[in-house]
Amino acid sequence: MKKINYFLAALLSLSFSFASAQTQKGSVLIKNATVLTVTKGTLQNTDVLVQDGIIKKVGTNLSAPSGVKTVDATGKYLMPGIIDAHSHVGLDVVNEATSPITSEVQMKDVVNPTEVGIYRALAGGVTISHAMHGSANVIGGQNATLKHRWGTKNPDDIIMMDAPRTIKFALGENPTRVHGRGNGIQPSSRMGVEAVIRNGFNEAIQYKKAWVDYNSASGQKGNTATAPKYNERLQTLADILDGKIIIHCHSYRADEIYMLINVARDFNITKLVFQHTNEGFKVAPEIAKYTMGASVFADWWAYKFEVYYSTAFNAAILNANGAITSINSDSAELIRHLYHEAAKTQRYGGMTDDEALAMITINPAFHLGISDLVGSIEEGKQADLVIFDTHPLSTYTVPQMTFVDGVKYFDIKEDKNDQRLTVSPTEMVEDVYLFQETERCMQDTEHLFEMTSTLFNQN
Amino acid sequence: MKRTLFKASVICMLLGGLMISSVGFAQSDPTGKKRITSSYAITNATVFTGPGKAGVKSNILIQDGIIAGIGSNLNIPKDAKLIAGDSLFIYPGFIDGASTAGITKPKDPERPENFVSSNPPDEIAGITPWRSATDQFAMDSKVEELRKSGFTVLQIVPEGGMIAGKAAIVVLGDSKSPNLLKANTALATSFKGSRGMYPGTAAGVMAKFRDVYKNAELTKVNAEKFTASSSVKRPGINDTYVGMKDVISKSTPVMFSASSELEIRRALKLQKELGFNLILTDLENYEGVIPEMKASGAKVLVKAEVPDDKAIKAQKDDASEDVKAQYARVKEAYDKSIAQAGKLEDSGIPFAFTTAGVKTGDIGKALKTMIDNGLSETAALAALTTNPAAMMGMSREIGTIEKGKMANLVLTTDSLFKEDSQIKHVIADGYVFDYETKAKKKATEDGNATDAVKIAGNWDYTTESPAGSGGGVLAIKKDGNEYSGTISYDDPGGSGKLTAPIRDIKLDGNSLSFAFDVNAQGMAIVVEISGTIDGTSMDGTMSIGQFGSFPFEATLTPTLTAKL
Repeated sequence: MKKINYFLAALLSLSFSFASAQTQKGSVLIKNATVLTVTKGTLQNTDVLVQDGIIKKVGTNLSAPSGVKTVDATGKYLMPGIIDAHSHVGLDVVNEATSPITSEVQMKDVVNPTEVGIYRALAGGVTISHAMHGSANVIGGQNATLKHRWGTKNPDDIIMMDAPRTIKFALGENPTRVHGRGNGIQPSSRMGVEAVIRNGFNEAIQYKKAWVDYNSASGQKGNTATAPKYNERLQTLADILDGKIIIHCHSYRADEIYMLINVARDFNITKLVFQHTNEGFKVAPEIAKYTMGASVFADWWAYKFEVYYSTAFNAAILNANGAITSINSDSAELIRHLYHEAAKTQRYGGMTDDEALAMITINPAFHLGISDLVGSIEEGKQADLVIFDTHPLSTYTVPQMTFVDGVKYFDIKEDKNDQRLTVSPTEMVEDVYLFQETERCMQDTEHLFEMTSTLFNQN
Repeated sequence: MKRTLFKASVICMLLGGLMISSVGFAQSDPTGKKRITSSYAITNATVFTGPGKAGVKSNILIQDGIIAGIGSNLNIPKDAKLIAGDSLFIYPGFIDGASTAGITKPKDPERPENFVSSNPPDEIAGITPWRSATDQFAMDSKVEELRKSGFTVLQIVPEGGMIAGKAAIVVLGDSKSPNLLKANTALATSFKGSRGMYPGTAAGVMAKFRDVYKNAELTKVNAEKFTASSSVKRPGINDTYVGMKDVISKSTPVMFSASSELEIRRALKLQKELGFNLILTDLENYEGVIPEMKASGAKVLVKAEVPDDKAIKAQKDDASEDVKAQYARVKEAYDKSIAQAGKLEDSGIPFAFTTAGVKTGDIGKALKTMIDNGLSETAALAALTTNPAAMMGMSREIGTIEKGKMANLVLTTDSLFKEDSQIKHVIADGYVFDYETKAKKKATEDGNATDAVKIAGNWDYTTESPAGSGGGVLAIKKDGNEYSGTISYDDPGGSGKLTAPIRDIKLDGNSLSFAFDVNAQGMAIVVEISGTIDGTSMDGTMSIGQFGSFPFEATLTPTLTAKL
């Protein structure tokens, strides 16, 4: 008997490990919705058929293949899953704030799929977030693009494996405060920030050459070449130069934005997205011409000196100049209603519905290098979808269901009170905070300036 | 017959010669502490030679730290000291998979004048693979406490930063010997960042670990080339490389401290990328990653501890439905946690225990809890003996009771995992350590009032609540069959202490409950206390009106006042 049990246990654990090797893909037919495709207009009374996580068909009078569930969305609105191009949700560590360049650090190493913020984001229709390293360093760590497949405890299940690599850069007050003022090293000024980046790239060029030389010499008979030191930090910078990684740069002022554009042009870098970009409206044509665009706040500023010259028309001005623009949260709270943030561009700048929705769907998808996979409702794309009760840009709208890869992860009718995936056996009732930190860009850096933290806002 | 006699006499002669020779080398011993003999014979004990083996009445002969014989018919040499084992049960000595007992953390080196926190020297950043636990180890009271709990062999782990140094295996025998069995047995590693310098977080530690490992590999290639031919640049050999050499050649495994599932996954990820041999240690929450651990082939050391049950005990009956639903989840988490070891056994992973960070006195209770919740006694004993022996590559020397193996034994008064079983002797490396055992507790079931739990006296108590810890004195008097008393507590309206009479004092078996009234700024609050008494300590909960329940602990102080 016991032997059989062991056998069964072995079998079960085996099938379990097979299941976890591949993320879940769902099939569903959503009937009779007002479909906001974002890229192909609005389709009334339309059905969307999802099979194995992919949008198979968008049309009318579609019928469900056997075994595929139907969701009646009559009178409701269906839009692509919302994408947040700047978030820190689902990370155990945000800042390795100890060096001006930490490009070797990977957020994928510290993803925590059980953080309840992921579920809250799903409840706000967000299916993908860009889990970024913080802004303490000039060149921070590599980010992780997450698909909100809530319910797993395995970080690999929520990391979007087909998304390209991205990395965090940061200009201005944060890196100069942490390293210059906090530790007395470069950079102490905006000029120092530029120097750190240029020196980094130049070192990376030398590093790459050293390895090319070594590899070609070590193939020859009787060579005396020795291997250079391995340096993932420089290797990552070399990968940026080779176009393998998209830069996402924390920035506020127009002069520093223009500075980085020039640095990028000098090093032939084109994969560059600006984050925050509060003064982006002053250099909108340049951003449009030389970069992949900007990801901005709808109306959030004045939390420190470099963020005073701001306007709620920023997104609209960038958009009008042809810069691909997205609206992001950078916050565990704003991520819950990014559709409101997008709607603000209609009040400030008169964006059309499609333009406003694009700022939280296809545009952020473009910034993350995944616009061929997600970000709009098109046949062949991944089925990340949200159903709203009214138009998602209405003040009164409430998300009803959220799907990732055709699997429903949020349903307002099945919303349990206690969504925690992990519960401590030794704590009776854990405190639950809706507001943790409004912005976590500077998380894990507190010890570097314990004194100054009381004097300066840390955003 | 004649032949046997002849053999015996030869053995006797040989042994005699041995004795004479040892007497011949004996030096004067003014301390009087030198032991008289290194031969011991335990007679007629119930011997369990290993996990899963039935107890057999046997004699065991120990000579010079080795089990010289085991069986019912043994010739006991004249110099052997006899230990009457008639009522004793003998098990192989326990082996601790990873221990920090006796380890003193080395002082942090001074920072150089040109110190840059973004690029600190390895030693300051907690990267010290060249260090050895043997340099930090001393046979102190904590080690003695572990031995008293049955442990005879420890894998000692150094203290330090992300790469603390090398573990070593010691036997807890002679206090004057270094007792080292093996050095460089594992590289102690953790996700601990350095404060205020690189690497400061788990993310930085993972990146730095890859860096250290890969550069050690490259240095090895360069060093080999340097030795093999001329005109090759000097390889960058440094202390870190020297310390990592055995790790990259896979003769020394990496021992990663990983208490949670996420940390275990991170260690497994690094193992997959870099290919080192892995020991996972300090495991607390691991149920969800058992299949992954098994697939990786990593060795597994579970913390010999279960979560405390204070939160479970603090649950109140009159809570709202929402709070009750949360109670249920905490209870579920607790039940799952204590059943994990059983699940690990079912998976077939041959795990062992670590006592690092564990209160030695609680180990027995923790093992009992695991056994009550699915772990078999055989697997528990294997985790204490044969499994760690195999992990250490020392199955030939330790782990079971066999002729020729090291004389590491635990002698108990009853079979090992029984409630009242106590350790009477521990033998490590042939050295015998005796411990006092208490008489078994008498059953109080037959209502024998004189044997009942004594509560009269002054108790010092402490409580933990969100407002901080509090405490005071609980004084209980006995008048005939009635109890009365007072309790002092922190004044909720300010500083100082207040005293109130206690009421509804109930003693049922060893569980005590009572209540008292507190007036907090005009609000009348009833405080109820209930708990269980074990000798002179009480462990319970204090519930304060609608504010919730909090842990309550008290100790009976041996004062005379209560006897009035």
